[in-house]
Amino acid sequence: MDPLRSYLGRLLLEDVTPVVMVLTTPLAEAACRKSGLSFVDMLSPFSLFKKIDVPVRTASDQPYRLQQFKIRMVYASDVRKQDREVADARIKLVVSEANEKALPDLLSDPPQLKDVLNKPEAELCPLWIKKFNRELIRTLSFSDHETFDHPVACLLVVSSKDKEPISKFADLFNANQLPPLLNEGIMDPQILKHYLVLHEQQDGPQEIAVNILAEMRTTLGLNDCKLLSINSSTQADGSDADNSWSTYKAHGLHNHEGTCFLNMDDLNEIKDFMQDFASNHIIPYMEQKIRVLNQQVATTRKGFRNQIKNLWWRKRDDVPEAANGPMYTFTSIESQIRVLSDYAFMLRDYELALSNYRLLSTDYKLDKAWKRFAGVQEMSGLCYFMLDQSRKDAEYCMENAFTTYLRIGSSGQRNATRCGLWWAEMLKTRGQHREASTVYFRISNEEPSLHSAVLLEQAACCYLLSSPRMLRKYGFHLILAGNSYYLSDQKQHAVRAYRNALFVYKQNPWSYINNHVHFNVGRWYGVLGIFDVAIKHLLEVIACSHQSLTTQSMFLNDFFHFVQSTGEKFDVYKLQLPVFNMSSLRVVNEDHRTYASNTDVDVNESIWQELEEELIPSSSVVRTNWLDTQPKSSPFRNNKACVCVAGEAVKLNVELKNPLQISVNVSGISLICQLSTNLNASGAETGALTTAPEEDIANTKPSISTFESDGNNFTVSKLDIVLGGGETKRIQLEVTPKVIGILKLVGIRWTLSDSVVGYQYFEVATQKKNKKGKRGARRSLNTNLIVIKGLPKLTGYIECLPTKAFTGDLQLLTLNLRNQSEHAVKNIKMKISHPRFVIPGDSSDLDLEFPQCLRKHVQSDSNTVSEGTKENVKGSLFAFPQGIKIQGGATFSWPIWFHAATPGNFSLYLSLYYEMESTTDIPYRTLRMHYNVEVLPSLDVSFAISMCSSRLQEYIVRMDVINKTPSDSFALNQLSCVGTKWAVSTLPSRDSISFVETIPANQAVSCFFKIKDLSTSSCIEAADGSCGSDIVLSAGGSTDVFDVSRTPITDFHYQERYQQGKLAKVPRGLLDFILISKAVAVNSSKPEQLLSHHTCHCSALSQNPVWWLMEGPRTITHDFSKSCCEANIQLVIHNSSEHNTTVRVVTSDCMAEKTKTAPSHESATGQGGWYDVSLENDIKAIASTKGAHSQKQSSESISPFVWCSLSSAQVDLKPDSSAKIPLKVCIFAPGTYDFSTYELHWKVHSSESGHVDENVTSGGGQGYPFYVNVLQGA
Amino acid sequence: MASTACFVIVSKNDIPIYDAEVGSAPKKEDQAYQHQFILHAALDVVQDLAWATSTMFLKSVDRFNDLVVSVYVTAGHTRFMLLHDSRSEDGIKSFFQEVHELYIKIFLNPLYLPGSRITSSHFNTKVRSLARKYL
Repeated sequence: MDPLRSYLGRLLLEDVTPVVMVLTTPLAEAACRKSGLSFVDMLSPFSLFKKIDVPVRTASDQPYRLQQFKIRMVYASDVRKQDREVADARIKLVVSEANEKALPDLLSDPPQLKDVLNKPEAELCPLWIKKFNRELIRTLSFSDHETFDHPVACLLVVSSKDKEPISKFADLFNANQLPPLLNEGIMDPQILKHYLVLHEQQDGPQEIAVNILAEMRTTLGLNDCKLLSINSSTQADGSDADNSWSTYKAHGLHNHEGTCFLNMDDLNEIKDFMQDFASNHIIPYMEQKIRVLNQQVATTRKGFRNQIKNLWWRKRDDVPEAANGPMYTFTSIESQIRVLSDYAFMLRDYELALSNYRLLSTDYKLDKAWKRFAGVQEMSGLCYFMLDQSRKDAEYCMENAFTTYLRIGSSGQRNATRCGLWWAEMLKTRGQHREASTVYFRISNEEPSLHSAVLLEQAACCYLLSSPRMLRKYGFHLILAGNSYYLSDQKQHAVRAYRNALFVYKQNPWSYINNHVHFNVGRWYGVLGIFDVAIKHLLEVIACSHQSLTTQSMFLNDFFHFVQSTGEKFDVYKLQLPVFNMSSLRVVNEDHRTYASNTDVDVNESIWQELEEELIPSSSVVRTNWLDTQPKSSPFRNNKACVCVAGEAVKLNVELKNPLQISVNVSGISLICQLSTNLNASGAETGALTTAPEEDIANTKPSISTFESDGNNFTVSKLDIVLGGGETKRIQLEVTPKVIGILKLVGIRWTLSDSVVGYQYFEVATQKKNKKGKRGARRSLNTNLIVIKGLPKLTGYIECLPTKAFTGDLQLLTLNLRNQSEHAVKNIKMKISHPRFVIPGDSSDLDLEFPQCLRKHVQSDSNTVSEGTKENVKGSLFAFPQGIKIQGGATFSWPIWFHAATPGNFSLYLSLYYEMESTTDIPYRTLRMHYNVEVLPSLDVSFAISMCSSRLQEYIVRMDVINKTPSDSFALNQLSCVGTKWAVSTLPSRDSISFVETIPANQAVSCFFKIKDLSTSSCIEAADGSCGSDIVLSAGGSTDVFDVSRTPITDFHYQERYQQGKLAKVPRGLLDFILISKAVAVNSSKPEQLLSHHTCHCSALSQNPVWWLMEGPRTITHDFSKSCCEANIQLVIHNSSEHNTTVRVVTSDCMAEKTKTAPSHESATGQGGWYDVSLENDIKAIASTKGAHSQKQSSESISPFVWCSLSSAQVDLKPDSSAKIPLKVCIFAPGTYDFSTYELHWKVHSSESGHVDENVTSGGGQGYPFYVNVLQGA
Repeated sequence: MASTACFVIVSKNDIPIYDAEVGSAPKKEDQAYQHQFILHAALDVVQDLAWATSTMFLKSVDRFNDLVVSVYVTAGHTRFMLLHDSRSEDGIKSFFQEVHELYIKIFLNPLYLPGSRITSSHFNTKVRSLARKYL
């Protein structure tokens, strides 16, 4: 790029130009004032010559032509160093002027990335910034150490009306009024002087002026005097003058007063004058001066001899040193070189200028005149730039100058800024934007905040222009700039800077940055009074959870302050406070499914469906044939929309969270709904809505105010809550449609702290269809509901169902149903998920007094009820009697039996089905109830049954009861065997078991009983009352006996039997026990608590199909002196199995103990699995010790007897029959003998193949000990 | 001497996944803003430098007044950025290397989703103790 065409080049061509000092008389100035202009103002538009085309010859012999030239016209009074404060005020004015222009921009949307990238380079930085830069540079005009601002010529102006104009000229160039530069000897007072007579045409003919001119020419010199006529126009405001001026207005010529006496001729005259002045006087003067000075420098400084001399001279002259280096007057050679090079620079002989600058820089360096050195370095840098030579040198010079200026402290600070600005421009011209921005940043540190803000903004622009673009740096520097603007009270600019940076930080995950930007932009907009934008930005930060408490409250306070300033309620889409967790959204609509309470809704639908399988009629029934696929009576089946009933509330559960640490007040939370009564139209509309992309929802939906007027179609609930810091709450919102149609749940609205209304729309359900995997989420998002005509609805609950109960707890509860509508319902059915726990009672049970009703009555007809309940065991479906109808507004109660069967946590599901009396859209409805019951362990009951070895058909029962509660005690009431087959009685040794009444906490008790099979053996004892199926354990006696064969105990028993039978491995158990106990009440006010424990499928430890018993005399008296004794004994064998059995009896005289296996052990394990595991080990131990004992005994006694009749006998036994095998033993000596040395082997012949378990088909057993006492007879 | 040190791990997607003020200077809230801005802006420089060198430790890449940004880029282009005012480059280098090892351990955790925020308190305490050791 040609440096002259670059911005910096043009800047230098305009700014580093010859200065003409203007001195005017007051009358001359007044003449100009008539046109509303000062003299300088009048001339300055003509001081720029675009096509001057003057030949110039400086030091070299080769002339070149200048095309463009400019001179600066300055009043002599302005030729001085500017006061710092005045200059700063002027700069501030530039900034604040731009301020006002920026305001309308702030109302538009902030720029986006692509807007910024598409902008042309020049527009990235506001134009006024360039003006600012020039003003900043201009503050340094007329400094001592540089000469390009020193006047080249002096223009003295006298009015033709002045008296004695010649002497006036002398007065004007009086030393007193001259600028200090000339007086202090810094610059040469012998400058080019030009004299001008200003004549007003209005005042009369030119003759006076011509006369004066002639006089001047004689005294002051022929060429240096001129006459200028102005104010030719007679009209105060010449219309043609306006046109003629318009071309010059661009140059800063503003006619303030609207009157102008200058006409076209005047302007042309001024133009000609200026042209002449520049080309015939200034430029030749400068050329000449350059030549003279060059000559002088060449003689004194150029050449080897001069250099040596110079060095030597400087060394010597080192001593006098001022703070800023030695004072250089205009006569000193250094100043002259400076003038020479500056003039050369202005006449664009950069090579000449550069060589002299370099020469000068070494001198200044040796003199340690650092400021001058820096100035020279700066200029040589510019020369390098203008010559477009070595970039490195240019940069080196600029950097050198910059650092030197900085080093000398505050006096060089502004110079450093100017140098930096030039340097940065230079870098920008060469495309080194990154370096330029660092330069801007460096100089911004040296300047007051307003200046640094502008500089930082320029630095930011450079980052944007650099390649690759550094957007983050751009944003950061804009933020810094904005901050500085704010500090210097330029809020508009601050907002502008932040706003421009917004796109960089859009969607930024860096939380602090995001908060800072939005909060400040919002706050400043608020200060400027643009509240809507302010609030928009503050909305971004009010939900910041990571900030400290004070910051959060500051954000929130500012936000509410601005909201209140607007004086109206704000509607905010997607307000972040509080946060609605949309994934937790759940719509609860009751179609044919109704729920007893809100928690029941959360139960998985599949559980209900499984439960209701048998309850509800299947939908296919409705179809008449296969063509009639869609029954017309149910329009809601056509589309997937849900159904709700007019007059019944549709509930919506949603979770909301307060992300802040401050508690917020949220009021009026309600649903936004739409109810269209036209079915078809709304269907089409929903279709259109679902296809619309999500972003458009906010736009396509009508504003929320339209929803509020729908009060006659539906009502919505309003909810007010206060959310504490960080709190999460789950709320339920309701909408109750009143008319038939389609109800659309559109969104939620709420009011935050009574000032801001937030609203949020639900995302449309069909959006989720793409994700096939996630089916669960879709159900809740279905927001379109078809409202159908009002239906009867039942509400119900189970009265005082315990949430905690002890195992075995038996209670009578009431199911209360209420029909809230006007119509009756009929055909009520109920299904219970756990029939083991809950059983519906009979209508007669309702009035009964519990638990007295369970007591045994004489006239109890027990068998009638159980027939009905047996069927229910499988299905657990309960149909209320056909005649029951619940009329509109009526309540209905039904007894329910509750029994806590097993410990643990249980979810009880009850589903109630009912049909409508009148025909409606939905033929039936279900009421779903759900309860959670925690069942605590109470008594652990187990039974061990072993066969009685002394009697057939009798068993010994050991009952172990452990109280597992930590604190409660229970009183045992009764033990019952179920059914009439068995009789239970105490052991013969004791008449009653009154010794155990209560079992305290953590205690265990064991009791022994005897049970007897009544069916097989005709027992005499059954007749008398002592041996019934119940045994009373409490002190209360037989009056306190509960009837186990009545409902509900028997019903629950069936359930238990069924459940426990599923668990037990043994297919057919022996008998079932029910233990009824009572909780010992701590305070008597509580009703009596009854517990029933059911233990089913108990069987004996070893259940052999064959029982045997030795019979015979126990004492034999025999005279052994005669012969050996023969004892006749009998072995009674009983077959208790259902099949024919062959039994073989083998007797042996001596027992082979070593080879014998332990039979009792095996049988015990063979029978394992029917009883509680905890007790098994005990019994095993007992059994094994028994076995070991008998073996030991038999091994000790050497058999002194011989079986004599036979060694083996075999009998076939029919089912349930007995046989007697006679045996004979020969005894040789008196004593006590144990005739147990026989074995039984049996084989069951299973006629029905595979019906009998393999284990039972064959087996064997040792003989039982049978002791006979043989005495020596007389 | 109270020193400033702000350590940030920036994921591949320019999202800060871990940040800690590990300097001994008392914590001030407005500094937190400034630190984030400086570190965020330095990403521009890192973007250029990271591909220009084969080493992971990029030394100091950017400065703001007297604060220096040192950066370490992992193979997965996760950037460890430290804003500091002390000068010990060796210490910073070993700090980064040790943090890298810790980071890899976090990364190996199958429950950690790459690019998500590091919430491990163990990691946090380890990083802080490393900062005390080296910085």
